[in-house]
Amino acid sequence: MLYVDLFVQGLVQGAIYALIAVGLTLVYGLLRILHVAHAGLFTLGGYVGVLVTNATGSFVLALFVAMIVVGFIGMAVYRLGYQPILDRPPYVALIASIGLFIAMEEIFRLIFGPYGLSYENPPLQGIIDLGGVILREADIATMVGAVVLITGLAVLSTRTRTGIAWRATVTDPQMAESFGIDIIKVRYLNFFVGTALAAAAGVMVALLNNLVEPTMGSVPSYKALAIIVLGGLGDVRGTLIAALALGVIESYGTIYLGSLLDRDAIAFAFLIAVLMVRPQGLFGKR
Amino acid sequence: MGTRLFNILGFAAAAMLVAGAASAQDTYKIGFNAPLNGFAAADGNSALTGAELAVEQINAAGGAGGKMLELVVMDDQADPKQAVPVATKLIESDGVVMGISGSYSGATRAAAGVYQAAGKPYISAYAVHPDITRAGEYVFRTSFVGEVQGRAGAKLVGESLGAKRVVIITLNNDFGKSLAAGFKEKAGDFGIEVVGEYEYGIKDRQFGPIVASVKADNPDAIYATGYFFTAGPLVKQLRAGGVTATVIGQEGYDSEKFIEIAGADAEGVIITTSLDRDSDAAEAKDFIAAFEKKAGFKADMVAASAHTAVKVAAAALASAGGDAAALRDAIAATTLEASTGTISFNELGEVRKDVQVQIVKDGAWRRHSIISDDDLLAPPSS
Repeated sequence: MLYVDLFVQGLVQGAIYALIAVGLTLVYGLLRILHVAHAGLFTLGGYVGVLVTNATGSFVLALFVAMIVVGFIGMAVYRLGYQPILDRPPYVALIASIGLFIAMEEIFRLIFGPYGLSYENPPLQGIIDLGGVILREADIATMVGAVVLITGLAVLSTRTRTGIAWRATVTDPQMAESFGIDIIKVRYLNFFVGTALAAAAGVMVALLNNLVEPTMGSVPSYKALAIIVLGGLGDVRGTLIAALALGVIESYGTIYLGSLLDRDAIAFAFLIAVLMVRPQGLFGKR
Repeated sequence: MGTRLFNILGFAAAAMLVAGAASAQDTYKIGFNAPLNGFAAADGNSALTGAELAVEQINAAGGAGGKMLELVVMDDQADPKQAVPVATKLIESDGVVMGISGSYSGATRAAAGVYQAAGKPYISAYAVHPDITRAGEYVFRTSFVGEVQGRAGAKLVGESLGAKRVVIITLNNDFGKSLAAGFKEKAGDFGIEVVGEYEYGIKDRQFGPIVASVKADNPDAIYATGYFFTAGPLVKQLRAGGVTATVIGQEGYDSEKFIEIAGADAEGVIITTSLDRDSDAAEAKDFIAAFEKKAGFKADMVAASAHTAVKVAAAALASAGGDAAALRDAIAATTLEASTGTISFNELGEVRKDVQVQIVKDGAWRRHSIISDDDLLAPPSS
């Protein structure tokens, strides 16, 4: 029974990783930027979620507001942060991104205080017994939410003109542009969607922990990078599988290797092991 | 242009020197390092407020030996690399007579060496690492080392609560590990059987796998080390996962924020700490009321410990003056009624006092019991 419990807990964690990492891999696929500040937008999603829930009492509204508001801020980060330096070597954007992330953590601390915020009446706290596996409604909502959002993303990218233009741009920006696709629009869309997913993850993590702190993004900031490398940089499907696999491996590792390896070290041990065998990532093409 | 800038800078520097010289005559400067930014900023700011309150109270009552106290505050971000230049600046440039740490172990340990080398007294308010006071005879501590508090935890769990099957969940830093070591050292003496052990990192907030495994262990009690920002989510998730065993924490839980995060699930959590909310002692009652008025939130352990450290400094300055060696001897001879109880120091500069046991009742920290056992709570002396 413990094995099943651990597996399910791993999937909950994996769903959160997936929501964060998909946006990151999309940005990398399109612009070849390692968008570290993505984790700051994830944290901001958590803050907006808690503040709106506490002010209005509606968690669903808060989730919506967080995704839309933070999605637009993600677009602003692209416009103000990355667009002016796109013609520089990639490490320039990486340094800018790290700087932006640190600044965001401190801005959160100045605005929202160092102690973190909690939901006054945390929603989805009921307990559901699935044949011996006890889960909170919040756990289930996290998994269902991740599936719905990522399925929505799949439909958007395969069944709509916008989505097809988007994928074409990711595959070959120059060719896409010569076919008349507005690649600037595609970039904005990319940042909006990726950031909105991270914001949703932030709202859910704030709920699972009942705490959102200025430094909530510090672990995702580097672990999500490990996940997108595992998934084969820019590969959404690979990233999803890598995120779930890492969640499950960490779950077992915490219990059976916890005294030897820190949870975060497990992720990187797994990353190193995979890269030794498959340098292109789990699903990347050579 | 260049000359003008130099003139302005030179004038500013001269003005600062004059101001410094003037204030040096009628004040005692005390260096205070604490994490005011970064992950430990919550504790750092609470400690600073506690220290400021003590300074205000002392100055309002006429100061220490007729001189006013002045706190020179520097941010160390709980980072040993920051703590060394911070301590050096406080000693050499600000000319403090002594220092107080409102910071965590890593930073405090690094700064302790600097104060010791400079021959200036240094008091660690609440950092737990045993090596801090081993820096030398100028370094003191007003809180328990981790092992001592861990031993008190074992007595609380095995004797007072009568719990025998215990799971230990350890935060894998010096704070958590030293507490767990003290607990395990005495567990056998109080008939405790450890049925499961887990570790987690300071950045972990999601404990699903540990909760699932603890449920399978089916313990009577859980000795979980951590801070309020890890313990709040941990307790909430344990209860959500159907684990009903009593959770025993330590001074790291000691904050209103713990109750806010864990909500109704915080009820019944018991901790070993330094601040008794239901104390009859005038010092503690007065501190609790004055702190809430000044800070706008309720007093916690770090605030009380920093408050205590400043009171110790003030009492020693009043009796010995600003001479470093005399001041050190005065601190070593301290016996003081403080907000954290009646305190004195042993030959290593470690505090001797009772352990306060608090329980969450109706959404607030209340007195559970007091552990007063000189042998069990004897701090290391070398």
